[in-house]
Amino acid sequence: MKSVVDELEALLGPNRTIHSRDALLAWECDGFTIHREPPLAVVFPESTTEVQAVLRILSKNGVPFVPRGAGTCLSGGPTPVGPSVVVELARMNRVLDVDAVDRSALVQPGVVNLDLTTHVKHLSLHYAPDPSSQSVCTIGGNVAENSGGPHCFKYGMTVDHLIGATVVLPDGQLAQLGTESGPRPPQGLDLLGVFCGSEGTFGICTEIRVRLSTDQPAVRTLLASFADMTSACRAVSDIVGRGLVPAALEILDQATIRAVEASVYKAGYPEDAAAVLLVEFDGEEETLDEEAGQTRQVFAHHDALRIEEATDPRERLRLWKGRKGAFGAMGRLSTDLYVLDGVVPRTKLVEALEGIYAIGKKHFVVLTNVFHAGDGNLHPNISYDGRNTEETARVVQAGHEILELCVKLGGSVSGEHGIGTEKINHMPLMYRPQDLDVMARVRRAFDKEGLCNPGKVLPNRSACAESQKWPAMIARVLGEDAAR
Amino acid sequence: MSELRPASASEVASMLRDLASAKTSVRIRGLGTRDRLCVPAPKGAAILSLRAMSAIERLEPDDLTCSVQPGVTCRQLADALTRAQLELDCLDADDLGTIGGLYASDPLPAASPHAASPRSTLLGIDGALMEGLEFRSGARVVKSVAGFDVHRLLVGSRGRLFAATLLHLKLRPAPKAKVAFESPPSDVVLATKLLHTLRIDASSPKRLMLLRENGVAMVCGVASGNPRQVASLLVRHGLREATAAKRPHLSAPDVGHELVVGCVRPSRLLDLVAALPAEAPLLAHGGGHFETMLTPSRSDALVAAMPRIGGHAVVALGANARIGVGTHLDVGAERLQRELRSALDPRALLA
Repeated sequence: MKSVVDELEALLGPNRTIHSRDALLAWECDGFTIHREPPLAVVFPESTTEVQAVLRILSKNGVPFVPRGAGTCLSGGPTPVGPSVVVELARMNRVLDVDAVDRSALVQPGVVNLDLTTHVKHLSLHYAPDPSSQSVCTIGGNVAENSGGPHCFKYGMTVDHLIGATVVLPDGQLAQLGTESGPRPPQGLDLLGVFCGSEGTFGICTEIRVRLSTDQPAVRTLLASFADMTSACRAVSDIVGRGLVPAALEILDQATIRAVEASVYKAGYPEDAAAVLLVEFDGEEETLDEEAGQTRQVFAHHDALRIEEATDPRERLRLWKGRKGAFGAMGRLSTDLYVLDGVVPRTKLVEALEGIYAIGKKHFVVLTNVFHAGDGNLHPNISYDGRNTEETARVVQAGHEILELCVKLGGSVSGEHGIGTEKINHMPLMYRPQDLDVMARVRRAFDKEGLCNPGKVLPNRSACAESQKWPAMIARVLGEDAAR
Repeated sequence: MSELRPASASEVASMLRDLASAKTSVRIRGLGTRDRLCVPAPKGAAILSLRAMSAIERLEPDDLTCSVQPGVTCRQLADALTRAQLELDCLDADDLGTIGGLYASDPLPAASPHAASPRSTLLGIDGALMEGLEFRSGARVVKSVAGFDVHRLLVGSRGRLFAATLLHLKLRPAPKAKVAFESPPSDVVLATKLLHTLRIDASSPKRLMLLRENGVAMVCGVASGNPRQVASLLVRHGLREATAAKRPHLSAPDVGHELVVGCVRPSRLLDLVAALPAEAPLLAHGGGHFETMLTPSRSDALVAAMPRIGGHAVVALGANARIGVGTHLDVGAERLQRELRSALDPRALLA
């Protein structure tokens, strides 16, 4: 009898089907390296039709599958849980159409976020969602996670920039979500809205129509340093309280500043500061003077140690360099990095940060903070050595307590990284069993057989029973001999 | 038809549970201001009015969020936000209906590329299924991706999936200037050109419409933001301040006509115009939403032409049997809608 891998190879050819154990290690995890599990095989479809054909084969054989883009997710979203086949979409990386009048682009899911902006730069357009990984992460992954980024305070998340999508459902059927002009047809439900952020558990989008934004005529970037974190956070509240709407409001703490300044991302941040606050406005030149002036007043009121203002694009890039490179700079501190993602109401930022530092101290972990202050979206980063199991256990415990704190302060366990496998057990902190039950019903409406990225988002009470089916499944995918 | 008026989330759940046990169909509504846009409720259906749930439970100016019960009126919330120097971007203070109705009917997607829509401002909900199960989705903070966004299914659902008993909304600081504007009257081709120019302006107005009536077209809307920026936008595009903002919807249709709403890619607007009779009024928003008034036979002709133009059109107001007549959804999307309804309201009692 033909194995599933044989069928996939017959469909795509041997060059687009990987199943050797060594090669599969590249797909054993994403940016959340605490959980690792290689797939049984990886396939590389290059068109909607091929994705449909792949899913029909997998569905017919009852084989779970995991959609994957660049693998930059930070919550284990594209990491297999149990025997599964990874559907790798990185080769579906074409911009299919750009409409400058409609200000929209039709892209395949493997298009890299920043590449789209580069592609439409000559039209003075850009794609607004800008996660820190934008130079490598893909639009398909952004849709799966409903990614944000520093500029989503003003411009919104990925979901706010979607117009429509072609989706292959787990049984291979196609569905058009949204319309060519807007996310919901007049007589329909907002299927695209609920699909975005479903972490690859509802189906695979193979074409995505996104909204493009007009470049603003001018940008003003300011950086202020503070002697304490509380002053930096209060300055953020004051800026928003004055009715200003900056494009970005970012804070880096002292440990992050020092890591950045010691790295190739060195940006000239003052190392003696307890925190730096990066504020960016965009719009027409004459309005920026007024907004920057008011922001300087706020900085002064909160005893800023130093204020810098970028006067040209080169200076702006320098001020952003440290922020954009902050996660990379953490590589100097240890071999592994656990990037947490929690949200609190902005008014609770000071309280949350005090609690987070206390948790770090309690568990003796190296903890730094860089975050989207305008949204109250925290990214505590814990540097550790993943080969040390005792240290890793402390890191995981500290992470759990930090997320618990976020929920206790009225926030969320994820602002933009998703739940994946990382936070699956934190979901009950936010949601009651009946809330999770309703989510599970919605998931089943898209994926009745539970084949699409199982083991993600919702805690699974029948995981033990399902694992008993795994040996038979492995045999079906690889063939009896290979499975042994 | 009996009308039930629960005063709390638990009463909503308990009433729905009782009605489900009795296999009674239910129409959920607020003040009923949008009833005429719905297919009439089936005979014998109960009306569950959420109008008594009219409290603004929480308004956090510093966090830019609020939580409101569905029966809060648009006017009531607009007034409270004005006092706090805040705004809910998609809120029309002249809307006579409730906040629950606004989100459930989603009458107007983002009217311009910079504008917010009900979808982009809904952070989470508390809700109740027809079987009486109370649930939460989303969060109260401005940003959360924890779990599936079931709350987004409220938008445009017209109460066919569940009842929302509390809505968590994302607010903005009130703009320092807000100016209604209009262009000089012109023909529809010139007005369309101006609409596109305004759409791609970096300071694009948040409400932007092309209005054609009696053969004359104009572009109108509301620009907001920094006073200098607003003034400069008006000068740049030869617009003048209007005494009052134009309503974002066409009024009730004349006898023998029906209101058709739809969406079209803005770049195909002139194709839409070409498919309409010259005398038909047209209101086209910058975001692609449009409204027009046609005789039933002309509506049918437009619906038939929509696949060629690219977009959707549906009769929103007219004879009972005509409401909902329109372009077909994609087969896959249709299937998903069916599955979702069956998952959340298996007996299809929410009408």
